[in-house]
Amino acid sequence: MQALIQPFSHEYDAYLRDESRRIGKADSISFPQSEADIQAVLAACYQDTVPVTVQGARTGLTGAASPNGGHVMSLGRMDQVLGCRYDGDTFYLTVQPGVPLCELRKMISSRRFDTTGWTDASLDALTQLSRAKEQFFPPDPTETTASIGGMVACNASGARSYKYKATRGYIHALTLILMDGRKLHVQRGKHTATGRKLTLWPDGGDPIHVELPAYQMPKTKNTSAYYAADDMDAIDLIIGSDGTLGVISEIELSLLPLPAFVHGVLCLFVSKDTAVSFVENLRRSDEGIAAMEYFDVHALNVLRMQRKTHAAFSSLPPLAPWIHAAIYVELHGNDESDILARLNTIGDTLSAVGGDADHTWVARNASDLDKLLFFRHAVPESVNLLIDARKQKDPDITKLGSDMAVPNEHLRHIVDYYADSVTAHGLQSATWGHIGDNHLHVNILPNDMAQYDAGKKLFLEFAKTVSSLGGSVSAEHGVGKLKADFLPIMYTTEQLRQMKSIKAQFDPKGLLGMGNMFETSREVDAV
Amino acid sequence: MNLIVCVKQVPSTTDVRMDPVTHTIVRDARQSVLNPFDRFAVELAVQLKERHGGTVTTLSMGIPATEGLLRDTIARGADRAVLLTDRRFAGADTLATSYTLSLGVQAIEKYDCILCGAMAVDGDTAQIGPELAEQLHIPHATNVQSIDEVGADSLTVTQQVDGGTRRLRINRPCVLTVVRDIVMVRMPSIRGIQRSMAAEVRIWGADDINADVNRIGLTGSPTQVIETYVPKRQKQTVDLCGSIETLSKSLMDMIEKNGGGAHDTH
Amino acid sequence: MIRIDKTRCIGCGQCQSACDYDAIDIIDGIAVANDNCTSCALCPSACPVDAIEMELADAAKDESARGILVVAQADGNAVLDVSLALCQKAQELSRKSGAPVFAALLGPLRNEVQRLIGHGADIVLLCQNDALANEDDGLYADTLCAMIDEYRPDIVLFGATRFGRSIAPRMAARLQTGLTADCTELSLDEKSGLLLQTRPAFGGNLMATIACPHARPQMATVRPGVFPTGEWDRARTGQFLSFDMPRDAQPLYDILSKAQQPPALSIADADVIVTAGRGIGTQKNMQLVNRFARIIGAQVAITRPLADAGWGESHQQIGQTGHTVAPRLLIALGVSGAIQHLAGMGGAQTVIAVNTDPNAPIFSVADYAVHGDCVALLQHLLA
Repeated sequence: MQALIQPFSHEYDAYLRDESRRIGKADSISFPQSEADIQAVLAACYQDTVPVTVQGARTGLTGAASPNGGHVMSLGRMDQVLGCRYDGDTFYLTVQPGVPLCELRKMISSRRFDTTGWTDASLDALTQLSRAKEQFFPPDPTETTASIGGMVACNASGARSYKYKATRGYIHALTLILMDGRKLHVQRGKHTATGRKLTLWPDGGDPIHVELPAYQMPKTKNTSAYYAADDMDAIDLIIGSDGTLGVISEIELSLLPLPAFVHGVLCLFVSKDTAVSFVENLRRSDEGIAAMEYFDVHALNVLRMQRKTHAAFSSLPPLAPWIHAAIYVELHGNDESDILARLNTIGDTLSAVGGDADHTWVARNASDLDKLLFFRHAVPESVNLLIDARKQKDPDITKLGSDMAVPNEHLRHIVDYYADSVTAHGLQSATWGHIGDNHLHVNILPNDMAQYDAGKKLFLEFAKTVSSLGGSVSAEHGVGKLKADFLPIMYTTEQLRQMKSIKAQFDPKGLLGMGNMFETSREVDAV
Repeated sequence: MNLIVCVKQVPSTTDVRMDPVTHTIVRDARQSVLNPFDRFAVELAVQLKERHGGTVTTLSMGIPATEGLLRDTIARGADRAVLLTDRRFAGADTLATSYTLSLGVQAIEKYDCILCGAMAVDGDTAQIGPELAEQLHIPHATNVQSIDEVGADSLTVTQQVDGGTRRLRINRPCVLTVVRDIVMVRMPSIRGIQRSMAAEVRIWGADDINADVNRIGLTGSPTQVIETYVPKRQKQTVDLCGSIETLSKSLMDMIEKNGGGAHDTH
Repeated sequence: MIRIDKTRCIGCGQCQSACDYDAIDIIDGIAVANDNCTSCALCPSACPVDAIEMELADAAKDESARGILVVAQADGNAVLDVSLALCQKAQELSRKSGAPVFAALLGPLRNEVQRLIGHGADIVLLCQNDALANEDDGLYADTLCAMIDEYRPDIVLFGATRFGRSIAPRMAARLQTGLTADCTELSLDEKSGLLLQTRPAFGGNLMATIACPHARPQMATVRPGVFPTGEWDRARTGQFLSFDMPRDAQPLYDILSKAQQPPALSIADADVIVTAGRGIGTQKNMQLVNRFARIIGAQVAITRPLADAGWGESHQQIGQTGHTVAPRLLIALGVSGAIQHLAGMGGAQTVIAVNTDPNAPIFSVADYAVHGDCVALLQHLLA
């Protein structure tokens, strides 16, 4: 045990941060390598009433992995794929939480796994997998070094969630280690609620009785607060719970056959209005569309600027000055003629809304798709470079990024609202994101701390507006610590109380993921 | 200026590995793509056409499925495409391939310049360009990194040579092999793709180009592959410890052994 | 053609799935090659029971062809190492037969004759014409082809330099013979005496051994650096013969100007890379890294934290947000090996990692793990 839990020292400083760049505090750290290790560490912390913050690859954007004092549990060394299963229809992989998404993808596409310790049944299923049509794990957060455990904890999604939805849909079973060290296994279809009542049976000890919150989930992508629905699967409560209910130690995920054809199309527009009309029209005939990603004029301008000075971006094709908005559409299909028909549909839709089929960049092979991927990543990257330059002057400045979604009917309104509000407050912004799901990331690029504070205030306004439209204040990044103050805007006090009571059932001492989802009144130093 | 671009279909990945259990060669991807170097040649031709007028014809020797990749070159701006395909072309080495391509070129009509990618990623031979030029009795220049001037009967180009670059004036018609990144490759538009779907790819067999059957395919190839194998990858990590002096020496030895120091610019 | 041993074949079909040409049928549980076969030689290595062999066509070779001709190339006034290495290799190959090793030396390079002899040439064919001072594909090909006509070598070897790889194929097409590019191994077949030329294909992922059974000469370009240059044996004797450039030799082009500096390389194309990580300590130590890289002819790459800290240019960065690299040799100095970084350097053939932390993940992908402080090492090396 002493060897497992080590005192925190400066060499571990990286473990105080995630991609939110919030810097936390910690007293000790562990790197479990097995379920037994997790159980031992949690039991020890439980006994001594030490808060525990769980980490995957620390690629999250909400500070959920950044500790508020106490113990840091990094699951990065639990990175084994444990087995494979085939039920005649779907392939499943059982993985440890620390497996990075990029590694998992590599293993799946090459069908090469470290099969040490696999059962014969798993090896048989792997043989089937090698013979089957190529498979893939659909969730696609931008940061592919994300861990699978982290993706489950925040119910991650990405551009292709427009077609494939979030991580939730691909998680079949989970093992959760509770704060007191007990183990809870939940499987989709097997452990379900009756109405809003759920009883769970961990190994040993008393059952957990959960009264699920009475709220309806918004009709958008959503990662704000615990999932709740009538007769829901218990597993859906754990997915997206931001590391507040237990430590996920094992995940069974499901795969889909890889589409035979993937085409990317970047459509270039003279105005954001044309771009929005295009989306509204195109999604009426949306079959085969996997993603619709928006880039506003300010985002394109930052890219144009960085392209002139940074060699890395100069390999991007130039963007003509008339281009004021761009939308990336990704098409997935199994039949070439179908996908060609869809390209024609895009061309027709462009003509119908005042766009032009000549003003498109179509990627039909890996090399061109890479180029479009590079373009899409270069936009946030170039904004980061801009912010890094401003940080030289004032180290406290960071980019502020929103993650809110609204129902379909409010798309045009919300696009205009974001643009007008930012302008009205005299702030610089760059907006991009998943326009197919009415889910845009508005990024405020502050020049100084006054603008930074103004931006934070503006986001609270956004949260109110979005909530009033029936949207979600955190559509894909989770809540973590940075967005905990949005929850009281989206939910009533009573609803928050219902959420807290769930947490109390799983973690009576309130030690797990302290500060995630619920703003904590406990002082870090008091622990 | 009328341009011909020779292109080749290659596997999408050059990943080859040995199956650890059966010790047999496994190649993972069977998807075929246009040789990456040839993309630059096609784009360069289209840009030259846009600037100086003329036509772009893409030419390939390959299996019938190559037609799709040729169609893609039309989507990217080529005017037409020719596919040389015949069972009898199979198994050709560079000599037989360049002979076959030379007949294709001669059947196309008047041309000013033939562009090839500097090499193909599957074979890595880089021999087709010069062999084709010789078969056609026209000059060639390899590893061209820019086309500086287009004259009435000549081109001025800069090529990469051992230890540097040089500028040449070369008479038209000629064969140029071009390096990666000679131009930025654009993507086709939806309109371009629609145009390519309607275009005709000409398909010619050995008889259409009056090929001497003794000079094509396996029969016309002087070289023979007699064995292939996957090179052993050193998996075992060799640990080196000791004093700075010892480590420095081993480091430099390893660098020398693995081809550092003797720097080869190509 | 392929030969399938029917007594060994178990009809498993591995060869069938390895074949790109649908050239193998399984008939009554036995593999049978059909007309589609292109002799590509992929199936023998796919066979788990070694039932497939490549059958070499009968070598009705030209008996009059004799000896090995090495085409020497010079950089300014000095013959390139690769040419000297080829002389030595040629001498080794012809030791058994006693056939002569010729070296073709074109241009005003009289002074280099002795060096070629000292490295293994028996007869240096010197064409001292000033017109050959510049490497022109036309003049060189015309002269060399005339030489081959006259001396009828069995084998002609070139360095796989840019010029070698430009002129050799031009000549092969004129001579209507086979040419194997960029070989890394040469040997003579015991039985037939044919030159066995081994070269990497598929980006080095597959090695192929190639022979040229009928046509003469057998021609190959050989990758620089794979054979040792050897010592200059000053006691070695040989002869040199003057050779005149054919009167009808024609240049292929006008050379307008030359520039010495090699074109700038991107790390994505680099052959040798030195990567600096946080373990180098301070920004000042980047100078050590840069000097070291210059000496060993490497490009400098950096990790994400160094790029973030501005210790290098972002175009030097390897990893998820930077470049993906595939050098022949990568030397990682003080790189711990974040997963993103490892993903970006996955294509490297040989990895040498220097680090003080024995648990650094970089060691898991390294061929050589040097346990030590990279800065101390650099200081020692550059002192």
